[in-house]
Amino acid sequence: MRHDDAPPRLETATPLEGAEIRALAVAGEPVVGFGAFLDGIQRSHVRAHVGTVPVVHGAVVAAIRERVERRMRTWDVARKSHALYLPFPTLPSALLSVLAERCELVDTLADHDSAAPAPQHPGDLAARALTAIQRRREREERRLAEAWVEQGTVPLLMDGGIASSEQVARSAMVVGAVKSHRTLYVTGDSMPVITGLREGERTTAVVLTSPRRTPVATWYLRLRDPGARGPFFGLVRIEVAHLDADAIAARADLVSRWMLAERTPVALPDSRWDVMVYGIRECEDYLSAILT
Amino acid sequence: MTSPEILGRVVATERKPNTPHEFHFWTALDAPVGIGTIVRVESERPIGGVLPQIYGVVTEGFGYTDLQTPLHDVLGSDGVPGASAVAPTERTEIRLYTAAVLRHVPEEPLQPVPMGTVHLASELDVQTALRMDSYVQGSAMRGIPVGLYRAGGTQAAVHLDADFLLGPEAAHLSISGVSGLATKTSAVEWLLQSIFAHFPEEKGGVAALCFNVKGPDLCFLDQPAVQFEESDRAIYDALKVPAEPFKDVHYFAPWTGRGTQLATLRSHDDLQDNVQPLTWGLRETLQYAEVLLNKDDVDAKADALIDFIKERVLDQVFSDPRFEMSMEVRTFSDLEKWFSTILRAMESANQDVWRTHHIATIRKVRNRLSNISTRCKGLVTDDGTVSDLPFGEFRDRHVYVVDVANLEEDAQDLVFARVVSQLREHLEKRQLGVSQVVVFVDELNKYAPADGPDTYVRKMLLDIAERGRYLGLVLFGAQQFRSQVHRRVVGNSGTALFGRMDPDELATPGYQTLAPATKARLATLEKGQLMVRHPHFGQPIFVRFPRPAVMGGRDGVTRFPPAAELPLDAAVTVALRRLDSSISLAWVQDTLALAGDHEDEVLRARNRTIQAKPDDVKAFFRAQLKKRVSSASAARRPAPSLRPAPDDDPYG
Repeated sequence: MRHDDAPPRLETATPLEGAEIRALAVAGEPVVGFGAFLDGIQRSHVRAHVGTVPVVHGAVVAAIRERVERRMRTWDVARKSHALYLPFPTLPSALLSVLAERCELVDTLADHDSAAPAPQHPGDLAARALTAIQRRREREERRLAEAWVEQGTVPLLMDGGIASSEQVARSAMVVGAVKSHRTLYVTGDSMPVITGLREGERTTAVVLTSPRRTPVATWYLRLRDPGARGPFFGLVRIEVAHLDADAIAARADLVSRWMLAERTPVALPDSRWDVMVYGIRECEDYLSAILT
Repeated sequence: MTSPEILGRVVATERKPNTPHEFHFWTALDAPVGIGTIVRVESERPIGGVLPQIYGVVTEGFGYTDLQTPLHDVLGSDGVPGASAVAPTERTEIRLYTAAVLRHVPEEPLQPVPMGTVHLASELDVQTALRMDSYVQGSAMRGIPVGLYRAGGTQAAVHLDADFLLGPEAAHLSISGVSGLATKTSAVEWLLQSIFAHFPEEKGGVAALCFNVKGPDLCFLDQPAVQFEESDRAIYDALKVPAEPFKDVHYFAPWTGRGTQLATLRSHDDLQDNVQPLTWGLRETLQYAEVLLNKDDVDAKADALIDFIKERVLDQVFSDPRFEMSMEVRTFSDLEKWFSTILRAMESANQDVWRTHHIATIRKVRNRLSNISTRCKGLVTDDGTVSDLPFGEFRDRHVYVVDVANLEEDAQDLVFARVVSQLREHLEKRQLGVSQVVVFVDELNKYAPADGPDTYVRKMLLDIAERGRYLGLVLFGAQQFRSQVHRRVVGNSGTALFGRMDPDELATPGYQTLAPATKARLATLEKGQLMVRHPHFGQPIFVRFPRPAVMGGRDGVTRFPPAAELPLDAAVTVALRRLDSSISLAWVQDTLALAGDHEDEVLRARNRTIQAKPDDVKAFFRAQLKKRVSSASAARRPAPSLRPAPDDDPYG
């Protein structure tokens, strides 16, 4: 199942600042802290069908845009890939051999239980291709973030969470900003605290743990006054490495101040402008321009 | 020819496609590109085995950010303008330029400009882009430097093709610009110096004839500039033109109305060596009587009589047995006597018609012709003294300045008409002395206006514009408003220069082909900058030219103040002393005292002496004075009164 298709849910998390989640005004004025922005995009097209099997072309690209003297430029090089996403077991091997000579092939049933019957529904097969493409994008983003951890000299803001890479999740050089809230991390009766945050307020931090992911600290931050525009307007969730529980309050305030400083320039006309910082949007524009 | 540094990249979209004549490219924000910059496109796709190179000149520039509407910036800044200034990131911004194609290499097939890299044009690129390679390289050197092209560290000489500036392929130059910036006159002075320095000798001699139509503009061309900076000298050096005033200049000016001195602001005593009077008699004037007589009051009958006088009376012994008259008409005085004789005889014989000419027509023509010497006093002499331009003896790289600034409009027209006609006649016969002559006329909108009456002068200028190039008669016309000059004159100007232009003028149809940014640049052009259109250049080019190395009019009159109008004896002394330095005021006073108080006769004697340039100036002058005085005395007798004109005579 693709991440975006996951049903909305609530997850519990362990508070790091006190016993329960509270709203706090971010201590200090906004201050510029990020020096780079990471994002990735993907495009997919069903190019053909072999019988009922869709042949999906997927293109992904990820890049870090470094900010130098207030202007953006590409750090290192953008990571780009083009591949055909196919369910190998359902296709003749001769066809796969011919296609493999022309471009990279990705098996969308690689993690399927070989003992179970292969999916037959074309929609199911296409959805699996999309999931594979998304994973490929996440992989490129992860590799870039890891490279930044090794070589970067200033904090990097990446679009999305940081927990998928242990190296990244343990680095103070990378901060994640999550814009969607299909999963809300709450404890007890803290939902009204989160949705009731005012502009410039954050929640106390919590730690996210998962059997397959590295624990990270996270908190919600209201970037813009929601007015009557709904509980999630201007609400982002910040992820940072869970390094020192005693210092998390100061770290959360500092990173929140960095985020608040990024409210200008506004990311309009992107529809997610309330939660998207301009650096990420600029990175997306760049990726759209080079993904041909 | 490839330059390592890439300035920009060609872009094309469906909404902004490239064509064979125009393309778009973007650059870094700090790229040294502006309106007028020449660039070269290197295509990445060979055609017929050749990588095309396209040369263009920037005609328009655009800059924008990723903002969809200004409102987004307002929202992002919470309505506080200062907030954007502290934003951690500057918005993505683009510099997008439109360039007009100057040249494709190879020329065929002519296709839309391909994608490719854009480079600043080098000096060699500028030559290629402007097609100057055909006339500034190799044996066919006929380039006339007009200025320096400068952009992004590139400096390149821009040459005009002599064959297209001075004929025979094309010819003529039109220069436009607002007044007061010293652009038009300065540019022409500079260009004449450049022509004199670079016009190929094998093409024959070239001279310039300049009409000084206002103030002291062209009165000090042989004097060094007062304001001349190293930057000006650097341009002269770069374009290989000697930074010095014109070596050979000859000035011509009519006398003032009083006749004691020449009507020019170049009247300082130190500058008189190359100043000569410009005076014409009846023969020189009558040929161009049409200039002074307008069609409204000279009808076909009057024309017929004037033609009769020209063919049958002028410069020959005229006899009429019926009236028992026989006389020679060579001067306006003679003509007046001739008219008097005819009219008296007709009255005596009580006849209204003489040789098919009605007495009223004769009176009318007499009236119109007789007052020419009054209307053009100082230029046209009653006694026929002629001091003219050296037609037939024009010399190579010499400048002839005719100062008409102090003449009445009619007299100015007469000067234009006769001088230009004489140039034409002599060039047709290849007898001018040079093979090409540049005629510079300022305020061309006055002499060849787009609308208004079809005057002789306008017809003449149109004729030069349309046919002069075959003869080597080249018109350099300057005007504030090009739109106000007859379009056949500007249309036939192969080369056009533009200084700073008036925005209203730029809004007229003649400038529709220019991009808005080019017009905006023209409206704010600095002193010393010109936009040049030339047949070889696919598009107008901006160049810089130096301040001319000659003294400006204002500086000239400060350094060489015009002489005050002198009393008769002193004026004669000054004039004769140029021929014989031993002549003193006392001698002149004594001589004039002996001759009596006949001011006109004294002036005539002076003029004849100046014209003759005799070895013994004193004797010649004295002889002229005696002859004129005695003949005037002998001729002075009471004239019989004429029958008064009838009350209803419309020409009386």
